[in-house]
Amino acid sequence: MGKMERFSFVALVAGIIFFLFADFISWALPMFVLKDIPKKSVEDLAAEAIAKNTTAWSDFNKLARYYPDSFKKLCEYTEAYSGAGDVIKDCKPNEKTFAKALRIGHRWYIAEGCWNCHSQMVRPVSNETLRFGIPGVSNTVSYPSEFQNELQAPVLWGTKRIGQDLIRVAAVHDVSWHVAHLYNPQSTSPGSVMPGYPWFFEKDKNGNIVPNERGIALLTYVMWLGSWEVKPPKSFRIETAEK
Amino acid sequence: MAANNQELQNLVNYGLVKAHVAMGLIFFIIVALMGFLYSLQLDGIYPLAGIEFLSPGRVRMIHTAGAAYGFLVNMFTGLLYWAVPRFTGYRILSNALGWFMFIALQAAVLITVVAILFLGMADNVEWGETPWWLDPIIVFWLLLHLLQFGAPLFKASQRGPLYVTGWYIAAMLVWTPLVVFMGNLIPRFWAVGSGAGAVQSTFIHDLVGLYVTPVAWGLMYYFVPVIMKKPMWSHGLSLLGFWGLAFFYPMNGVHHFLWSPIPMFAQYSAVFATVAVEFAVTSVLINFMMTLRGSAEQLKYNVPLRYMYTGAIFYWITCFQCAFHVTLTFQKVIHFTDWVTGHAHLIMFGTFGLWVLGMAEYVWPRLFGKETMYSKGLSEGAYWLLMIGVLAMFFDLTAAGLVQGFDWIGLNPWIDSVNFSKPFWYFRSIAGIMMITGLFMYALNFYKTATAKTGLTAELREA
Repeated sequence: MGKMERFSFVALVAGIIFFLFADFISWALPMFVLKDIPKKSVEDLAAEAIAKNTTAWSDFNKLARYYPDSFKKLCEYTEAYSGAGDVIKDCKPNEKTFAKALRIGHRWYIAEGCWNCHSQMVRPVSNETLRFGIPGVSNTVSYPSEFQNELQAPVLWGTKRIGQDLIRVAAVHDVSWHVAHLYNPQSTSPGSVMPGYPWFFEKDKNGNIVPNERGIALLTYVMWLGSWEVKPPKSFRIETAEK
Repeated sequence: MAANNQELQNLVNYGLVKAHVAMGLIFFIIVALMGFLYSLQLDGIYPLAGIEFLSPGRVRMIHTAGAAYGFLVNMFTGLLYWAVPRFTGYRILSNALGWFMFIALQAAVLITVVAILFLGMADNVEWGETPWWLDPIIVFWLLLHLLQFGAPLFKASQRGPLYVTGWYIAAMLVWTPLVVFMGNLIPRFWAVGSGAGAVQSTFIHDLVGLYVTPVAWGLMYYFVPVIMKKPMWSHGLSLLGFWGLAFFYPMNGVHHFLWSPIPMFAQYSAVFATVAVEFAVTSVLINFMMTLRGSAEQLKYNVPLRYMYTGAIFYWITCFQCAFHVTLTFQKVIHFTDWVTGHAHLIMFGTFGLWVLGMAEYVWPRLFGKETMYSKGLSEGAYWLLMIGVLAMFFDLTAAGLVQGFDWIGLNPWIDSVNFSKPFWYFRSIAGIMMITGLFMYALNFYKTATAKTGLTAELREA
């Protein structure tokens, strides 16, 4: 018995050996199992979105067209923390600007604590595929490969659902709905307890309230979520909006 | 144990205990106010709407990160400065190191607050919202922590077997740097996707399981026998509880992400380990309850002891609840609901909060050479407000979680679940007011005790 009550024994066996054993089971083994799934960088994701011409790419183009001044500021936005360090000279929607918008959007998504109330995981229980999936299009339970990218390190699976799950949100509402929702959530969802985020907006020359560079980035990130799924049918968004 | 007061004065650095406990209490109040502020958002009456720096989403992160680093680390470190030298009979490594670590800890917390609120630099790891560039510094701080308290523990264990508090603290000193390193840096730089999720879930649980739980149980094993002036009931059960906790607790993490894309075997192992840990916890609790036998009437007038036993019962409730709600069946209903929030509040505030408040209330008058706290009334009032407040919040959020879970399964429009939750959220804010009022009373009592001129003496109730 005496040995089990020594500092060195406790520190070695309980502190290190037991800890490493548990870590081996609960995260080293899962990582071995998942190691064949390719890891994508943000640039890969941007290239993929353009190559497949997904809804995220067209939404990004729309944002650039609707808010050209903010888009220009997005090209000039530099900051080390999100990895968006360079000014982009040829300021038009391309792989580089799209990747930059995703990075900045992801950074502010975390900074605002969006993940505290919105999850990003559709589970195979509680009718979640019916509520958050894309009905009739594909089986939209969350699968490992859709998280195997730089924007899910660490994962954004969430901790609590006060708002809806966002991993398929691109299929549910279009970009103009999201602009209105981000500025004043109660305007699109009466009764919602989500706060408004007016600092992602600014007044343009005509006095209209438009998203600023951070707003465009955040909206790009949100519209990218789920866009890698098969494109929803055109009428789907309207149906959901009416529901 | 040292014989007289002067020797104890030399053994324990009173200044460090005072500073850490006082800062811990201040951060506790700030953190609770932040939580209350966030709850007002859910009630639709957020007073600071439209201010970027005090956006509810950011305030919520101060609530969790502040509770971990500002409140719990400060409180526990302060109490360790009191307990470790006393039960080992050796001084901590260095007083100067202690003051350096104290200042570094407060600086780390304040930098975190500034980074999250004003610079938007946060990590999406619950409990680990500190910006990633601060995490290596925190790991370094924890390694210093290991040296500081490891030195007296090591010296004592050269002389003979270490007392049970020592095992818990020895294990914690090794676990915590490993856990913080693993949880904050691996999922960011060396893992992505589901693998990162598995690491992250392990961190979420292990910061609670491998820092907070062992320190708290360790301190309980020190303070409860000291207050009751008798030994623990069973040495064998102490061993069983500790080694059970050490073996099964680290594996629990993945139960935070059941039904996720993490491989199923990891989810099953987490469920199994969580149910197993319940037995270890129960053995610890039996030990404490049997120690109380014959001294139960002390609970009537000894407020610190009452805090500890109330916390212990809450601990068993949460762990018992845990063993059920980590099963895949229960998770279908309650995951992502307020049930989990209620569970988290009962464990963090109801158990660990009450424990450290009880221990601090025992230590505080002694630090100032007084026999009792300034006011018995404030002491009792704070206890009842905190206890009833946290219990009310627990039942309220548990019920809210069931309402939300079944409502989501029923595929009602989403807004229904928000509307159904609103009465529960109002009630949660009211419970929060009770808890914060209790905290203010508690803090006022501390302030008065520290500044009272005349010596406060206890009336003897029992021989």
